[in-house]
Amino acid sequence: MTFEPEGTHSNASMRNLHLLHGTLPHEVVCTENLTPFLKLLPCKGKAGISSLLDGHKLFDANWQTMAVDVKPVCPEDGTECILQIEQTVDMVLDIERSKRPRDNPMPRPIPTEDLVCDNSKPYHGGDSCFPLDRTSEMSWSLNKVFGRPLKGSCPLTTEDGRDSETVCINVPHEREVQERTAADLVKKEHEDGYLRCYKISPNLDFDLILPEQYLSSNLPLSHPSLHAFRSITGHGQERGGVRAILTNPSLTSPVRFVYLESLPWFMKPYLHTLRATISSSTAPLPDQYLEPQQAPNTADPIKQMYYRPAVDRHRGTHLELLLELPPASTLTLTYDFEKSLLRYTEYPPDANRGFDVAPAVIRLLSSSSSSSSSNGSSLLGASEYLRTTSLLLPLPTPDFSMPYNVIILTSTVMALAFGSIFNILVRRFVAADEAPGYGLVSLKGRIWALAQRLKARLRGKGAKDE
Amino acid sequence: MSLLSALLALRRDPRILRLPPYVSALCILIGVGWLLLLPLNEYSRQTYVSENAILPGQVHTYFGGSEHNIFRAYRHEVAGLAESSEEERVGKLGDIFRSSGLKVAAQKYEYTAAGRNTTGKNVYAILQGPRADATEAVVLIAAWRNMDGVLNQSGVALVLTLARYFKRWSVWSKDIIFLIPSDSTAGPQAWVDAYHSGHDPETIESLPLKSGALQAAVAVDYPAGPWGHRFDKLHIIYDGINGQLPNLDLFNTAVSIASGQMGIGCTIQRMWNHRDTYSERLQTMLRGMLSAGLGHATGPHSSFIPYHVDAITLQTVGDGWHDEMSLGRTVESLFRSLNNLLEHLHQSFFLYLLMHANRFVSIGTYLPSAMLVAVSFTIASIALWVQSGQPTEKATVGVWHSDEADAKEQDVTVVEQDGMTALISTAELKVVERHMLLPIAFVSAAHFLGLLPLYVFTRASATTLTTTFYAFATSTALLPALSAVALSRLFAPTSQQWALTACFSLLLLGLFLSALATLNFSLAILVGVLGSPLCLVPALITSTPSRTSVPSTSVAAGADTSSSHRTTSTGIGGSVANVTLYVLLLAASPPALLLAACHYWNANVGAVLAAAGTAWHVQGAWTGVVVCLVWWPAWFVAAVGVAAGGLGL
Repeated sequence: MTFEPEGTHSNASMRNLHLLHGTLPHEVVCTENLTPFLKLLPCKGKAGISSLLDGHKLFDANWQTMAVDVKPVCPEDGTECILQIEQTVDMVLDIERSKRPRDNPMPRPIPTEDLVCDNSKPYHGGDSCFPLDRTSEMSWSLNKVFGRPLKGSCPLTTEDGRDSETVCINVPHEREVQERTAADLVKKEHEDGYLRCYKISPNLDFDLILPEQYLSSNLPLSHPSLHAFRSITGHGQERGGVRAILTNPSLTSPVRFVYLESLPWFMKPYLHTLRATISSSTAPLPDQYLEPQQAPNTADPIKQMYYRPAVDRHRGTHLELLLELPPASTLTLTYDFEKSLLRYTEYPPDANRGFDVAPAVIRLLSSSSSSSSSNGSSLLGASEYLRTTSLLLPLPTPDFSMPYNVIILTSTVMALAFGSIFNILVRRFVAADEAPGYGLVSLKGRIWALAQRLKARLRGKGAKDE
Repeated sequence: MSLLSALLALRRDPRILRLPPYVSALCILIGVGWLLLLPLNEYSRQTYVSENAILPGQVHTYFGGSEHNIFRAYRHEVAGLAESSEEERVGKLGDIFRSSGLKVAAQKYEYTAAGRNTTGKNVYAILQGPRADATEAVVLIAAWRNMDGVLNQSGVALVLTLARYFKRWSVWSKDIIFLIPSDSTAGPQAWVDAYHSGHDPETIESLPLKSGALQAAVAVDYPAGPWGHRFDKLHIIYDGINGQLPNLDLFNTAVSIASGQMGIGCTIQRMWNHRDTYSERLQTMLRGMLSAGLGHATGPHSSFIPYHVDAITLQTVGDGWHDEMSLGRTVESLFRSLNNLLEHLHQSFFLYLLMHANRFVSIGTYLPSAMLVAVSFTIASIALWVQSGQPTEKATVGVWHSDEADAKEQDVTVVEQDGMTALISTAELKVVERHMLLPIAFVSAAHFLGLLPLYVFTRASATTLTTTFYAFATSTALLPALSAVALSRLFAPTSQQWALTACFSLLLLGLFLSALATLNFSLAILVGVLGSPLCLVPALITSTPSRTSVPSTSVAAGADTSSSHRTTSTGIGGSVANVTLYVLLLAASPPALLLAACHYWNANVGAVLAAAGTAWHVQGAWTGVVVCLVWWPAWFVAAVGVAAGGLGL
């Protein structure tokens, strides 16, 4: 339910297609992660907006994602199908932090004289400063934020039109934006009052400079249609629980979505503990919404469920739920799980960190398409997906120094056992009185032998001297 | 064969049977003596940071300069909130966090314990680490009021300033949660319970905002007023609930950063002037053990430790030249170190005793002392078991070894086994049947009776606790005597049954203590040492000659024959000795010792019990359970035994 093939597929090829779904819940970011991504681009990060992508800046962002979507596109006129690759990079930058020079990224305290203080405080003086919130828009430029200007455009088309506008900035029109480039550029301000796009020339540096400014209006942000939050509950080495809180902020429209959990096999959910409870949001609601809301509250929010249990060491749990959430309400989804013990070779080197559990994937279904998507045959355009944060699952971890201790101990025991057994095996036991070399007789013999040896040596020396 | 018979003979040797009390006493002496050895250089070790990832003090700290101006302003703000209402305070603190660009949430809680309501509201903010994926978090705490109820002005202001400062760093690979609970015990407990969804949603609000798994928590306690106060040392508090301890690495990191990087001296367990001498080390260790044994919360960090979140509190003490910025830099460096962690703290020790900021003993070195104390009870119990199974008339042991003819004259039994034949004195083969029903029933009843004080003391309101305690103390003094009379009248237990009762009670006590020693060493050794008279008491009763030689003569007395036998043999003297023993045992009873401890530390019994009740309800400290269900029943059974002897029953 969650994933469907995108693009155009013929019915014949659809039969041979498999849906594969895999997740890598945790990967340590590295600036090198960007290189293969950039290599897919036509200009390889040398020109166009991708020239701004610098591993240091990208992974220093407060939040970032990279996505590659591939889909076949077959034109209507029946010509050959092509594969369309869409690459997306989203990053949320802290402008103040990004503006720091790269060779001096330390957040040193700002000089005292630069502090913006609230002078109205009674204690305000030479050594106390209650910091004031910034009311103006911060000044920034591409060069300052990314450390380099845009290195020209990477034109994929020679025609004029929407596709040739390669750089767009989404700020209110009253915000002053200075463009700095050596050549002429085409600028187009869109009618909605916020978007402006530029057609820039290839090969020439381009920079956008936004000075500090006081604005009367802010950019209207689109409100998400669903808030999702997932966390692990409980503590201890044996059991735990997962709680997902899904909130529909909209006051008017219900939201239908598919919730997909793919859990690793060592996290065994008890499906009978799955509970979905709906509570209306604490936000005050207009009266007219209260009445119709009572009815869906009592209804089961789980409309459909697909569950494939885990097989130890082969596949994880797959759980898909089709849920419907009435307006202005919160759905709490809880289930318990059991932590299983791994074999000691199955632990990663950083076993005590815990094990990552992949994020839940939520696919929002628009109300019109919900009927068709539930039977799984419709081909939708781009669906809206949400992902929760991944979870860290502490599993019972053995003390890995214990095998070491055991090895040392068993080796000692084995060495002792082997030593004594070997000793017994190679030694010849005779009674004390039978043993040669003891008693008076032998003493005499020994002295005799010693004398003989001495004699032989003396004689040998004498022979040499001759 | 000869060896076997020699051993068998040894089993009956009266000298061997007289030995166990001395062995028990020796075990206790060695156990306590062992503790005295621990502070020596040969037995304790220098602390060291075991987790390589921490790299304590390797980073340069930048907290300073104009941050100080902001800190002072925040301190004024906090001082201004001192008189304001909970809502206003939470709102204002939330605004300051919000202006630093953090997500803020609040949580209300309410606890009812010891007839009092504890309410408050926690406010916290989450800094989402730029390099983090919201799976791990560390917590920085400044309780609004510290453990002494003093307003933690500079501590709260420091957390507010650090929140603003930390936001500017891009290095955080874990989320940082800034928590300001309204008090130092209930608030953090409510918060950490709710974080793990282990709370009661009726009285404690769920957290609207959460981050990943908690890795560590650091609390700051700096109750300096709006004009600041320069401190001398950092007092690092590390005890958790029920004697649980944070990973030693966290403590070591704090010590090495504070003393190594910042030059701030560190001290523990309220030893303000520690010159690292033997007596001071011992004193520090004993204070730590007492604190762990009581199992109470010692700071806002304590509530975190049961959830396997390593936590410490940094408290400023004394007058010196370190200012709030040094503390801020210490916290900054500590958080940078924690930020380095790839795994949950697990490398170093979780079970240790500290005797100096950089000297410790690990469990392998100190555990034998508690085990020896526990073993002394088991030895006493085994001795009683052997004794209870002894035939009444003396076996003529040893005679027949030397003189075959003599042996043949005796009553002998021919034993054939594996084709061999042996002649064994019948007296030796005689098995005395043990009547165990009454002893087992009585010991179990005594342990169930322990539920009564537990229930009463945890439910009673604070105002009635003092009277309840004295009522309990009086009944504790009288109940054993009454029970002894009642038991004698109802069941007329034989001396063997008395011995078995003591045997089972001591066996249970030994078992409980050795199990407890691995969980809370300090509590186990505390109860073991305080209860050590109990393992000597049966020996003292039985050492009067009547006890060992048993039911032969005066059946006419109706009651236990041993006592009547004793009255005939030792007369009034034995009774007087037993009455003295009873009085001595009363002095070693749990309520009497509690009273003595309260008198010594100048504390109010009612307040202590109220605190214990609160700790039980809020934090789940089970010291009371151990006292009421392990120590008190064992004492009760021993006292009943003495009373039975003393009253000549």
